[in-house]
Amino acid sequence: MVLAGVVLGPAGEPVPLARVFVASGPVPVPDIAALTDAEGRFAMSLPAAGTYEVAYAAEGYASASTTVEVAGERELQLELRLTRDRPAP
Amino acid sequence: MSNPALPPSSDPHTPISNQPEETGTVTVAEPVFQAPSEGTGAPAGAADGTEQVEGHVRTESALEDMWTAPATSNLLDIGAASFGPPPPVAESIIGPDDRVQITNTSVYPWRAHASLLITAADGSLWIGTGWFIGPHTLATAGHVVYIKNSGVPGRDGWVRSINVMPGRNGGVLPFGTVTSTNFRTVAGWANSGDENYDYGAIIIPSDLGNTVGWFGFGVWPDAELQTVTANISGYPGDKPAGTQWYDNDPIASVNPRKVFYETDTMGGESGSAAYRIIDGGRYGVAIHAYGGVTTNSGTRINQPVYDNLVAWKA
Repeated sequence: MVLAGVVLGPAGEPVPLARVFVASGPVPVPDIAALTDAEGRFAMSLPAAGTYEVAYAAEGYASASTTVEVAGERELQLELRLTRDRPAP
Repeated sequence: MSNPALPPSSDPHTPISNQPEETGTVTVAEPVFQAPSEGTGAPAGAADGTEQVEGHVRTESALEDMWTAPATSNLLDIGAASFGPPPPVAESIIGPDDRVQITNTSVYPWRAHASLLITAADGSLWIGTGWFIGPHTLATAGHVVYIKNSGVPGRDGWVRSINVMPGRNGGVLPFGTVTSTNFRTVAGWANSGDENYDYGAIIIPSDLGNTVGWFGFGVWPDAELQTVTANISGYPGDKPAGTQWYDNDPIASVNPRKVFYETDTMGGESGSAAYRIIDGGRYGVAIHAYGGVTTNSGTRINQPVYDNLVAWKA
């Protein structure tokens, strides 16, 4: 099954070159990460049904993750939002 | 790069067994190995099987918890007795995250690891890790060089190109970028997508390894591997882009084709060396590839893997 989606910034702007990867899943997963394209889009395969934690990160933004439940769908669509990094105190 | 059909994966005379291979062991009459090289410059130091990295503290293995009072908070609900346990969760950080950032990446051994920017056949971009095993060859995971079962039209097969950035530290590329379109893997991965054969190599069009150095690799018996530490340094996606992070933990278990360890990793570290240190020399024992259910794992360097790596570094 394919997990596809887009990574957006706080104003809804696409975030290119964001890193998207599976941080945890129901089965062993390849330890590789996708980079989003110029429109912030990505698509990656998930090997089995179950609960996944999908993490995403990009320079200038706070890293984030979301939980995805996968049943038998052939493709899932996600919209992932990043917030701006807070400047160091 | 085109994706020519690969030959059938096995000789019809390949032995088969009704016993799970995972119950077998690898017996090695005499360990075989290829020697490392530290490239140019001053030699690097190391001790006790691990890298000496300021700030790195290894969290004690869960295996050692058996000698302390057991916690009950993680016991299964009684419902599991009737309905089975809940599905396990595979994660690349096992327990506390012990990784530390490597900042002196322009010196050996850190410069022998390379950040990889991978362009797949469909133009999608990915990140991974590779490690030098010779002047112009990096070992990596099979799924870094050949994408299998992606479910995305036009993506499967040999990747289009890989930008190799040895010793990268964020935006700093102390040895520049080398682009490769010359890759290797094996039929067990390319034809079957079998994780037991998930390894490959990148051939670069220069001898940059003579400068940055390379790791040795070898084949050791089960009993010996189960006493050593799996050191891993790579380029994870959850950290600032292009930064190198290191961790180590003892090897938890092995089977004939895989090595399992609690060394922390994250997406982007596929293809890293899982390596041991002997008398200051670094030797790969596995090629990291998966975040696992209770441990992470890599493709074991057994005799066939060793033979292929030797041929690919020629």
